[in-house]
Amino acid sequence: MHIPDGYLSPATCAALYASTAPFWYVALRRLKQLLTTRLVPLLSVFAAFSFVVMMFNLPLPGGTTGHAVGVSIASIVLGPWAAILAISIALFIQAVFFGDGGITALGANCFNMAVAGSMVAYFSYRVIAGKCPIISRRRVLAAGIAGYLSINVAALLAAIEFGIQPMFFRDASGAPLYAPYPLRIAIPAMMAGHLTVAGLAESILSAGLVAWLQRTHASLLSATAPGATAGGGEGRNFGWRAMRPLLAGLAALMLMTPLGILAVGSAWGEWSPRDLADGSARQQIAAASANRELPPGVPRGLERLSSVWTAPFPSYAPRFLRSASFGYCLSGAFGSGLILLAAVAADWAFAARRRSG
Amino acid sequence: MPAPVFEIEDVSYSYERVAALDAVSLAVPAGQRVALLGANGSGKSTLLRLLDGLCFAASGTVRFCGQPLTEERFADETFSFDFRRRVGMVFQDPDVQLFNPTVFDELAFGPLQLRWPRDLIRQRVTGTLEDLNIPHLRDRMPHRLSGGEKKRVAVASVLILDPQVLLLDEPTAALDPQSQSQTINLLAGWKDTGRTIITATHDLDSIEEIADYCFVFQAGRLAAQGVPAAVLADADLLRRTGLLHAHKHVHASGEVHSHPHRHHDHS
Amino acid sequence: MRPGGEVGSVRRTGFIEGSVHSFLRVLEHTLESEELTRRAGLLQSLDPRVKLLGFLGLIVATAASRRLEVIAAVFAFACVLAICSRVPLRTLPVRVWAGVFAFTGLIALPALFLTPGRTVGLLPVFGWPITEQGLRGAAYLISRVETTATLSILLVLSTPWTHVLKALRVLRVPIVVVVILGMTYRYILLMIGTAEEMFESRRSRMVGKLEAKEGRRLAIAAAGVLLSKTMQLSGDVYLAMQSRGFSGEVYVLDEFRMRRRDWSWLALFFALGAAAMWIGH
Repeated sequence: MHIPDGYLSPATCAALYASTAPFWYVALRRLKQLLTTRLVPLLSVFAAFSFVVMMFNLPLPGGTTGHAVGVSIASIVLGPWAAILAISIALFIQAVFFGDGGITALGANCFNMAVAGSMVAYFSYRVIAGKCPIISRRRVLAAGIAGYLSINVAALLAAIEFGIQPMFFRDASGAPLYAPYPLRIAIPAMMAGHLTVAGLAESILSAGLVAWLQRTHASLLSATAPGATAGGGEGRNFGWRAMRPLLAGLAALMLMTPLGILAVGSAWGEWSPRDLADGSARQQIAAASANRELPPGVPRGLERLSSVWTAPFPSYAPRFLRSASFGYCLSGAFGSGLILLAAVAADWAFAARRRSG
Repeated sequence: MPAPVFEIEDVSYSYERVAALDAVSLAVPAGQRVALLGANGSGKSTLLRLLDGLCFAASGTVRFCGQPLTEERFADETFSFDFRRRVGMVFQDPDVQLFNPTVFDELAFGPLQLRWPRDLIRQRVTGTLEDLNIPHLRDRMPHRLSGGEKKRVAVASVLILDPQVLLLDEPTAALDPQSQSQTINLLAGWKDTGRTIITATHDLDSIEEIADYCFVFQAGRLAAQGVPAAVLADADLLRRTGLLHAHKHVHASGEVHSHPHRHHDHS
Repeated sequence: MRPGGEVGSVRRTGFIEGSVHSFLRVLEHTLESEELTRRAGLLQSLDPRVKLLGFLGLIVATAASRRLEVIAAVFAFACVLAICSRVPLRTLPVRVWAGVFAFTGLIALPALFLTPGRTVGLLPVFGWPITEQGLRGAAYLISRVETTATLSILLVLSTPWTHVLKALRVLRVPIVVVVILGMTYRYILLMIGTAEEMFESRRSRMVGKLEAKEGRRLAIAAAGVLLSKTMQLSGDVYLAMQSRGFSGEVYVLDEFRMRRRDWSWLALFFALGAAAMWIGH
């Protein structure tokens, strides 16, 4: 997802440079204070590492290969601020020396991958890993999820940056000057590749490396695990192991969501005022209701209350997506993801309470 | 006997609970060429680092020209600058020592840290490159240098400061035979220059040329000391400390011949 | 996304070959740049700061332009500079133009018929309407990407990388960043060597195809070894720096001298950039 020059307008590029610069500044200051003389050798060598790792072709389940960025493992080992700088340095060299990614777009790339990527990776890792022991399996899972989320957030930001170009930047004849696709095309197009390939590659690299570090240099994980309890690999985490069948079942269910697209019409009782006003829809409703007569027009209470709440993704189809079926699947993934995250967060919150209580 | 430039009294040092040095005491007189002999892991590299003020002993004292080397002393910029100019170390792995993008930058690094005037630095870089016969490597990047070239650049990067004391960690390690002999010639050429040279090595073949006195280490302790000839003659000592081993080969007739490594007399 | 995208080959052994291939490409690129920067050409003779500022100005002007003619003019200028700097004829097309055209071209293709506007033709076979706005949009995108890519590669092919870094100070980039960039580049080349060795040695011991799972394990192990070498190296280099007097202050010594010629070219770049910005608006 390295954005080349020419896809984003100078105004967008400038805005993103301006958004990234404060992070660079703060990161540099904090690290100078924290690391003093170690700053230069540590950041340089780590930036070199992430550059080289970005070139690995990782074989993924399904027979494809993908590239990771390494931002999540950088955040997990070094913390978010050092990761921001190390990844930015690697991106700079890729852009200027190797032409991989644009120079005007460097601010955007750093914002998406280095800044947003590091922050999302770090916080999701911390939230999910909690205070569990450094060598527990939960950290491996946390690293995998952190990797997946960070790449997808970065991709989403890039997609949004692309998608708003035609909205604001057109020439006199109406032709788009930069990235030509609006949000409703840009977002699914970008996310498709990253939700499947790039996100997986990153999560495999992160999880794999954390597991490897747990076996060989566990101390390297301690920088981002303050308050981690000492102890063996099991501890509280047997819960995750036992949950494997449950998670497998959930995953299978998630995979079956596309079946819902095959359903015809709307569910009984879930009608909108529009359905009740439309003639053919009314006939379908009557047919599904044992041919009972419908009340004439739209019931007043229904009409009044239906406008109280407008869902962000009405009918499981986000407005910017053209294809309703894709929107449906995306909503499924998104919804389950939210629930999983909420469950994990709740688990963490209760565990924290139990430990302190 | 000239005043000692280094005095080590009862020094111990450990890495992660493994004792690398155990109650070592020795003194190095100024202007002498000294070899620290020992197999890998015997503690000689650690000692060099202590002498270079890169790490500090848990117990005992390390003194340089009478002044103790401690972390607090190095916090004082004047002392630190003075020490860094007077003592230079050539690391074993040139990829660690050559951390700048070009040879020019590498040589200029030390003087820049010591805040020499820029014109002087440029002059000295050119001069040092010529002294070591490598002026053509000026703008080269480290990854394009051969092992022998890297070694010479590493030495140059330290020599440019004209240090009083040179510490060398395994200078012939991982070099091809030709570069090895070039390096040894270089070290041998420093005899009688007044510089104190301390070389950590396990290469017995070269010590008579590069050193006037030897300290032999084993498992973090000082096992013996003496002039090179005496140390080399003591095959028992060398075998005990892992510096010598016997080759055995079996002939078809069943005879077994055992040949210890021998030092060849060049005189 | 680098040209070729991220979805790679389906061959089971593709992973090792793919990674090694990337490493080799990087090394080739470094070698080629080093070679070209030594040739006696126009750009090679200019002060790095002039080139940095000049090219940056042109890149921004290209990005800001609302007129295809301006972009084309900058592109032509870049080509002239390349010829005068003894860049071999096949370098630009092979290294830059083909890749950009394939990658960005593919991305821009759907825009031809997805962009609303005045129809000027029909896509053969499918009959989808191609709009004028779609054509212009695609043209803007492709020409911009080609031109900016050409300019940035010319900068790197005509200037030793370390000089590019030192020239960054004219843009007020902090010295510590310049030093870090230099050291990173130096160690990238070292690590690529290490990674390549690891993969090659595995490849030479391979019998038959490598399963995806096994391949993943290998990749993670290689990354892990690289990571621990990274931490080790960072500690060792820190000691080596201290040994040479490093106490936190970073310095850079360059040999840049602006001559009359450099000032003239700087003025020329500035004028061209300004003209491009003004006309392009």
